[in-house]
Amino acid sequence: MSGTPTSEDSRAPHGDKWPRTSATPIVEQYHRAIRRLMADRLASSGRKWEEVVHDPDFLSRPDFERIEADLLATGYRFEMSAVVSLKESPEKYKPVAEREVAESSQTDELGRAVVGSGANVFRADHDVTGTARFVSSVEKVMELLSEGVPEDTIAVIDDSGGTLTAPILGEFAGVICLGGTVRSHLGILTREHGVPCLMAATLDGLRDGDEVEVEYSRPAADAYATAEDGAEHRARIIKLS
Amino acid sequence: MPTNHTYASLLRANAWARKSSDAFYWQCTTRTVQESKLFPVNPYIALSYLNAWYRWPGLIRKIEAARPAEELGDRARCDGSYANTVTLGLIPQFYLGGRQILLDMGLLQPTDAVDDVLCVLDFAERCSLAYHRAHAHGLPSDAGHRAQILPERWAQVFEADALGVIPGDRLHTALTRFLATASAYGFLSHCECRLSFNNHGPYRTAGGGEMLVRDLIDLAECDYPWMDDVAAAIEVNNLTIPVIMKDTHFHIVDDWGSFEASPSYDSANIVGIGLYTSDFLADGFEPVHMNSASELAEYLDHLRETMMAATTDMWTMMAGWSREQMIDAGLLVYYAVIKDLAHYAGVYEQEDWFTVDERVQRFKPLFNDEYGNSVIAETVGLVSMRSQTWSEYHMAKFSDARGELWTPVPYSVLADDEWTATVGPMQPGSSSLPAKTERYTTTRGKLTQAECNRLAREFRPAAWELRWYDDDTWIKNHADDPRAHELYRAAQAKSHTLNGRGAGVQQGDLGELREGATR
Repeated sequence: MSGTPTSEDSRAPHGDKWPRTSATPIVEQYHRAIRRLMADRLASSGRKWEEVVHDPDFLSRPDFERIEADLLATGYRFEMSAVVSLKESPEKYKPVAEREVAESSQTDELGRAVVGSGANVFRADHDVTGTARFVSSVEKVMELLSEGVPEDTIAVIDDSGGTLTAPILGEFAGVICLGGTVRSHLGILTREHGVPCLMAATLDGLRDGDEVEVEYSRPAADAYATAEDGAEHRARIIKLS
Repeated sequence: MPTNHTYASLLRANAWARKSSDAFYWQCTTRTVQESKLFPVNPYIALSYLNAWYRWPGLIRKIEAARPAEELGDRARCDGSYANTVTLGLIPQFYLGGRQILLDMGLLQPTDAVDDVLCVLDFAERCSLAYHRAHAHGLPSDAGHRAQILPERWAQVFEADALGVIPGDRLHTALTRFLATASAYGFLSHCECRLSFNNHGPYRTAGGGEMLVRDLIDLAECDYPWMDDVAAAIEVNNLTIPVIMKDTHFHIVDDWGSFEASPSYDSANIVGIGLYTSDFLADGFEPVHMNSASELAEYLDHLRETMMAATTDMWTMMAGWSREQMIDAGLLVYYAVIKDLAHYAGVYEQEDWFTVDERVQRFKPLFNDEYGNSVIAETVGLVSMRSQTWSEYHMAKFSDARGELWTPVPYSVLADDEWTATVGPMQPGSSSLPAKTERYTTTRGKLTQAECNRLAREFRPAAWELRWYDDDTWIKNHADDPRAHELYRAAQAKSHTLNGRGAGVQQGDLGELREGATR
């Protein structure tokens, strides 16, 4: 019968008429392992559910450490999102892939290379010309904090949060964010600071140090637009040198 | 033996849980996705849910033993504090989020901790209903994403005393610069979450304008241990900024206190502003440097510069934190969203709100970045965990999916003995962060924890005994009643324009009264 728990699924403390596999592999792996462990330990303990359910020693920290270790032993490595995670436990995380920079495949009306595009957070009075500088690490922010942000810096940030660049955000001439949406925290903050910003930007040949012009004077992106409509109205990043 | 809860109370709890589930789904899938390269955001969010699951029932019982949920909602309604639209609405979400993750791990059944679940949901509902009493809703989403929290007496003071601005003048410039700095500061001090901000309204103002009331919360040395020293130079902990706009309609003011306007919010359309402070020891909103536009501009510039320095110091400190410290800080920001209720009740204890329960510490080895991101995405966005899946016939609100965020309590607990009552009393906790050592910044100065609690227990707002009359429905037919005048005069006590005017003032009178006021 479709939907009937398999024998493997049934190694859980309780039945489930409508089981399913979790959408992400790691939730499925972890939760299935915990359900099995709980079921096995309950069966071997001879105790009732009501006696163990709120007992924190029934499943304790070493049990969860073992579940993590078992997954890592298969060769699985975690996706990183915060730089500190990879820095502290490089053996547990996938290394960050080097950014591949291909030559731009598109040009604008004047024949200049279009090296990316993004959703404009707000319509600025004019387009902005500046130097693209990648800001994606704590060390880079620290450097800019101590030495000052060079004039006309258009920061290329791969983090849509508002904290990584919090102390220097107001000093950028523009921001190009490689993630998030116009509603992300970085979008909110750049709007408040009046710093022109593209969110959800995709790059096509942009390199650190390139002189660029960004079409921040295009209309603000519609947060409710479909992907197709949104793509049509994206602001372009044009390489000048 | 079955539980001693009534059928009615269980029906009501499950309905509140479902309403919360639907509202949270909408917010999570349409409003924002949090991410950060600095903070491991989703791991700390998920762990905060677990801390709420284990600790909130005990803490809520402790709070309510000192002051009922409805009183707390009534007090918070006339302040700009951390007890607000956002945090009160999050009580069911964070608590049931912890429950749902544990259900999916097979470490709970829906029939477990029934007394706790009903206690938390009942408290959250009563507190939210009292807080939202002026517009008779439970959540802004019930009102089509509108949050009219204030009765006329406070909205009128805000409008009457607002200082006029035009784009480019000193106060307008100072305000826009200050808001940008305060936003960055708030995201940082709250470890990437937006809980430092709340907005409510809109309230219609004279001439067809709209007023949005913007709260900035926990700015100074306060409950967060990491704000000791770095925020020492900031004199006020909470700020409320009424912003009056022309040619702008706020069509969404949502359950998380964020807004959308048509046309888009543009500071060039700001025509009037005010600045107030309040907290659990204040008698409503107290004006801050509002004697003149130049005084207010000067103060906002000063505050902005102070905050910029604090932002740099705090960022430098946080950038040196270990992952565990970042996790604990973010976890505790989320978990402690209802801490101000303990302040109002006079039962605030630092270790209750700023330690991670040992029952939660044991799970930390699981919470790498990928698992944190995935479990939060599945729990509140994809609704794709095994425990969230219902029958083939089921169609969820908004998504039509065959699943719901939060699992209800089965009615079988009214009929048999297959249930448990509680996770048990508060357990010890710990934190990897330095302990708080400095005093708490309040409207009555910097106080110790014991002083905060004693003063909170002693304090009653001036018009507290008249709270049953403090709504526009009664005022409509009793504007000449001495009790109405007393209520209004309490709100007007520090108003430049309306001091002593009482309940008879109409919106149309404000222009003339403003001209007559000396400022």
